[in-house]
Amino acid sequence: MTLKKIVETYGTFLAGIVLFLFLIAFAPNFASTANLLNVLKQVSFLSILAFGFTFALISSELDLSFANVCSLSAVVIGFLISTEVAWPLAIVAGLATGIAAGLLNGFLVTVLKVPSLISTLGTASVANGLAFMITGGVAFVGRWDPDFLYLGRGKIGPVPVIILFTLAIFAVALVLSTQTRTGVHIQATGENEEAARRSGINTRGCKVLALTLSGLAAGLTAVFLVANLSSAAPQMAGDFMLNGIAATLLGMTMFTPAKANILGSFVGALIIVMLSNGLVLLGAQYYIQDIMLGIIIIASVAVSASVLKRAAFAL
Amino acid sequence: MTKISARNIYKNYGAVEALRGVSLDVAEGEIHAVCGDNGAGKSTLIKILAGVEQPDQGELLVDGAARRFDSPTAALKAGLATIHQDLAVAPDMAIYQNIFMGAELTRSVLGLRLLDKARMRRESLGYMGQLNDSITDMNAKVNALSGGQRQAVAICRALRWNANVVILDEPTAALGVRETEQVLQLVRSLKRAGKTVILISHAMKDVAALADRVTILRTGENQITLDGGDLTADNLAHYILSGEVNRVH
Ligand SMILES: Nc1ncnc2c1ncn2[C@@H]1O[C@H](COP(=O)(O)OP(=O)(O)OP(=O)(O)O)[C@@H](O)[C@H]1O
Ligand SMILES: [Mg+2]
Repeated sequence: MTLKKIVETYGTFLAGIVLFLFLIAFAPNFASTANLLNVLKQVSFLSILAFGFTFALISSELDLSFANVCSLSAVVIGFLISTEVAWPLAIVAGLATGIAAGLLNGFLVTVLKVPSLISTLGTASVANGLAFMITGGVAFVGRWDPDFLYLGRGKIGPVPVIILFTLAIFAVALVLSTQTRTGVHIQATGENEEAARRSGINTRGCKVLALTLSGLAAGLTAVFLVANLSSAAPQMAGDFMLNGIAATLLGMTMFTPAKANILGSFVGALIIVMLSNGLVLLGAQYYIQDIMLGIIIIASVAVSASVLKRAAFAL
Repeated sequence: MTKISARNIYKNYGAVEALRGVSLDVAEGEIHAVCGDNGAGKSTLIKILAGVEQPDQGELLVDGAARRFDSPTAALKAGLATIHQDLAVAPDMAIYQNIFMGAELTRSVLGLRLLDKARMRRESLGYMGQLNDSITDMNAKVNALSGGQRQAVAICRALRWNANVVILDEPTAALGVRETEQVLQLVRSLKRAGKTVILISHAMKDVAALADRVTILRTGENQITLDGGDLTADNLAHYILSGEVNRVH
């Protein structure tokens, strides 16, 4: 491997490690167990959403609805639990909400042929409106069943269960995307839809599946968010929109350059949460985070694009 | 026995009448060439046989039974594998991924069916070796390959289906002398293995040397079918240039 290739493949990852060491050295309290566990908890929410967005991107589609769909799922769960529906049923309904939104996006993209940039934006707005409709603009807060809250707050030893769930979801997403026929079919669909179709791949099915996985990820995140906060509000996942996109795009600069990939998205989520957390601890103003996110999004795509360009010049 | 029979096929693209009642009969085990000038409708006919396009009118029979290929999958399942003129590779994916696209090999790991990448790479090397032994890294991306090497990848993808009927739309168009010879050898070996081959080519000498029969198309219609002693490079060129529909003896 040439040095250039190493930088291209692992550069961002190494930068993440440098950032980690920097924060340990200079950000007060960053290295405390409580803070690190808090970072990992934030990473949990963000990375699950980013995995979903990653599948959509691998299939060459965008999903700009995942954050609002997540909020809608959360509100559905909160509503059902506060009307005394058994919490496992509420969870099923929350997941079903995410899946339904994903299926809707898939239908809009593959059957009605509305570009995903537009259709998922529409879905996002609808989901947002529905979330406000269900709550009447306020939040569901309650003293909910401890068994349910355990999902978001429980610990096994010192380790929050939410982190364990996230690692399991990460493993499933990683294996699905890189080690299964379904995963490479989604990839082939994204790389060259016509080639995939002519090779007998159900390309429409792959796009619907990828967008549905994104919806499912939104539903899953909603479960953990609601259980963690013991409340559900119509804009509770709003901040995850840009953060999730940034994590995934940052991930595209790692491991398989210029390609959305699950491992990259996970590390991307780690870096973004560390940065946000570190900035707060270092006393930076709140608006610095937004500026930083914007820069990360633009820079990641610029780097990925230059890798793509170089690959094209190699023709 | 007639392996494939296309009868009276019509296909329009908007106002363009690409096929106007074309028929094609391909006997089992033969090499059947389809010739004709640019725009004659050869690729359109092949796309219909491959399920990529659907005919507006006409019948398709495989082994005597009427079939309708609504998708490429249907044609592949019926035993027809096609190398299209535009190759349709995924340039940013590895050679072995392109060769096994849609038919990936798996192995069981803890009860899960996971990709068997090592075996796919090994078998890809075997397929590629028949056509082009200069490429050994099956992890290389297709966009790092020359036009001829990409053609080899597309051909290997069709071979891997192990189909009874192999359809090649101008498989040697981008190839050098040596690679062309390798593809022609491959076509012969397909025939030896009992497969039916439909070959589209503008290289009259190759067609004359390989084909058992040739169907010539002209502006979306059948012009003439040649076989036996009539099937010479000179005759082919004569008919394509003159547009004559009767045999000269
Ligand atoms: N997708 C399409 N849309 C519109 N017209 C098309 C399309 N595909 C083919 N045609 C037209 O149909 C006619 C037949 O095209 P086709 O590709 O079948 O010819 P061909 O015999 O394969 O030619 P060549 O030797 O150049 O490959 C041409 O006039 C072409 O312009
Ligand atoms: Mg053609």
